[in-house]
Amino acid sequence: MTALLECRGLTVGYETPILRGVDLRVEAGEIVALLGGSGSGKSTLLRACTGLLPPISGEVQLFGQSLYDLEPDDRRRLLHRTGTAFQQDALFSAMTVEENVALPLRELTELTEPVIRELVEMRLGTVGLAGYGPRAPSTLSGGQRKRVALARASILDPEILFIDEPSAGLDPIVAASIDEALLAFREVLGITLVVVTHELESIRAIADRAVMLGRGAVIAEGTIDELSRSKQDTVFHFFHRVPEGSLGAPPAAPPGTPPKDMKNRTRIGMRS
Amino acid sequence: MSEPIAVEHAAGAAVIRLQGDLTIPSAGVLYEQLRALAARGDLREVVVDFAGAGRVDSSGAAVVSLAGRELEQRGVRLEIASLDDSHRAVFAQVARAPAAPPLAPEVVSPGLLERIGERVLGALAGARAFLGLVFETFRQAAAVATRRARLPAGAVVRQVAGMGADAVPIIALLSFMLGTTIAFQSILQLQRFGAGVFVADAIGLSMVRELSPLITAMILTGRTGAAIAAELGTMRVRSEIDALSAMGISPVRFLVVPRLIAITIAGPALALVSMAVAIAGGMVIAGAVLDMAPGSFWDRVTLRVTMGDFLHGVSKSFVFAWIVGFSGAHLGMRAEGDASSVGAAATRTVVAGISLIILVDAVWATISSLGDQP
Repeated sequence: MTALLECRGLTVGYETPILRGVDLRVEAGEIVALLGGSGSGKSTLLRACTGLLPPISGEVQLFGQSLYDLEPDDRRRLLHRTGTAFQQDALFSAMTVEENVALPLRELTELTEPVIRELVEMRLGTVGLAGYGPRAPSTLSGGQRKRVALARASILDPEILFIDEPSAGLDPIVAASIDEALLAFREVLGITLVVVTHELESIRAIADRAVMLGRGAVIAEGTIDELSRSKQDTVFHFFHRVPEGSLGAPPAAPPGTPPKDMKNRTRIGMRS
Repeated sequence: MSEPIAVEHAAGAAVIRLQGDLTIPSAGVLYEQLRALAARGDLREVVVDFAGAGRVDSSGAAVVSLAGRELEQRGVRLEIASLDDSHRAVFAQVARAPAAPPLAPEVVSPGLLERIGERVLGALAGARAFLGLVFETFRQAAAVATRRARLPAGAVVRQVAGMGADAVPIIALLSFMLGTTIAFQSILQLQRFGAGVFVADAIGLSMVRELSPLITAMILTGRTGAAIAAELGTMRVRSEIDALSAMGISPVRFLVVPRLIAITIAGPALALVSMAVAIAGGMVIAGAVLDMAPGSFWDRVTLRVTMGDFLHGVSKSFVFAWIVGFSGAHLGMRAEGDASSVGAAATRTVVAGISLIILVDAVWATISSLGDQP
């Protein structure tokens, strides 16, 4: 299989590194969940993968090209083949729902207006918001805004779709409908998905494989079944909803000791 | 524990017998008591007896825990006696709290030289980013001009309407008042020399060369510059600009170029409005005070104000418009974090914009007056 996304030895952060030496490989057609507690660097990794945060060291390869070695115009062209839905939806508040979803079509394609409107209405239907086009984002609920963001991110049928916390803070019914839409993107449109989440239900429902971040590095990866059977401390705590340091769980590693290399990292049945 | 806490003393030891609830209102009293005991210096042990205590809340547990550490530092042991189950449960909560986080490396406050260095580096980074934005704006504008890229439909027209057309009433009002004020003042002075008709020269020249471009730029800074900074800053804070970047759409082309094109049109257009209305204001006053016919006033204006003066004023208004546009765009795009950064970006745009405009105007006036010397 070909890797659509490959991070090698990625160290990223702002003033100080948040992630150190991260390796990540995403194959075409996969749904990969990036897991980890709050502040574990999931969103930072996503920003690095979507061209928003140049790494301190290491490399991000998107479609076989080194993202940050490209000239800005070439990088933009590469990003046209991706879609990103942000955690805070990032809808343009000055535009209607229809204008938001249509933006990539109007900006990046030569499609005519009737086709664009048809496409937008179709995609709004897919995320359960048919007829919401003329409304302003400010009149929508949190769940509806997330779905509009998802529609906008996927409107160009990207080869790879990055989604940050699609169902965080949503009720279980809306969360399930978002999961369904994500599965439909993969099944019907063949879109590869990288989903940042810490919603266990959602992970179990959609992900083929998960990569778990903790203490600034990848601490485990594998299928969801494999990870949920893991005895590795943080993975165990995450999948069994046990607070770290509690009795009855595997002993926690001393704080402040990030895994230094692959020896410390639980590798469970990684596909290659 | 509304009653004063009973303190009993024995040789080298003190016993505090709690009475009533140990909650937020009384925890502070207990803390002060324990500190006072710690300060005495002749005690080896302090006992806090919970036998008479009622409800204990988190603040009570926190006070005992904190005072215990402080006493220990002074070599005094704190003994807690007669806890019942409910007290124990509250104290267990304190015990379960994670150990104090590892100490952050000691922050050495930077010295004067370091602070100056930091400021200089910060200013250099800001200047580099500003020049980067100017370069990228012209590059993207060139791509639009050569049809390699396009602007969002209707964006320029919308912006021109907002920056230009909507500002006409305020520009006209202020310029008219400025024109009348200068006319009054000039007539008062000139009449003493019997040269009242020269008011037309004074108004025409001062408004066209200096004041109209300047007052337009001031209003543009407060109205449009601040709006650009606030708008882009809000988009930055709400990740809307990140969303554009992630889509592979240049935020500079999508957001900055239309605003810069609009301000390039609106700035000089508003300056022309200002010139015309200010001259009309002068005309009205000259008519009322000197009984000067509008035709004669206009003839004197056109006689005195050359095409060179007119182009001088118009080119100034172009430059001022760019100062406003680029300051707002630069500071708005650099807003980061929270809502306060948006307010700060708008304020800094107004301050930086007005300062830069006055600086450029002064330099311009000096250079052009040197050129005019015989």
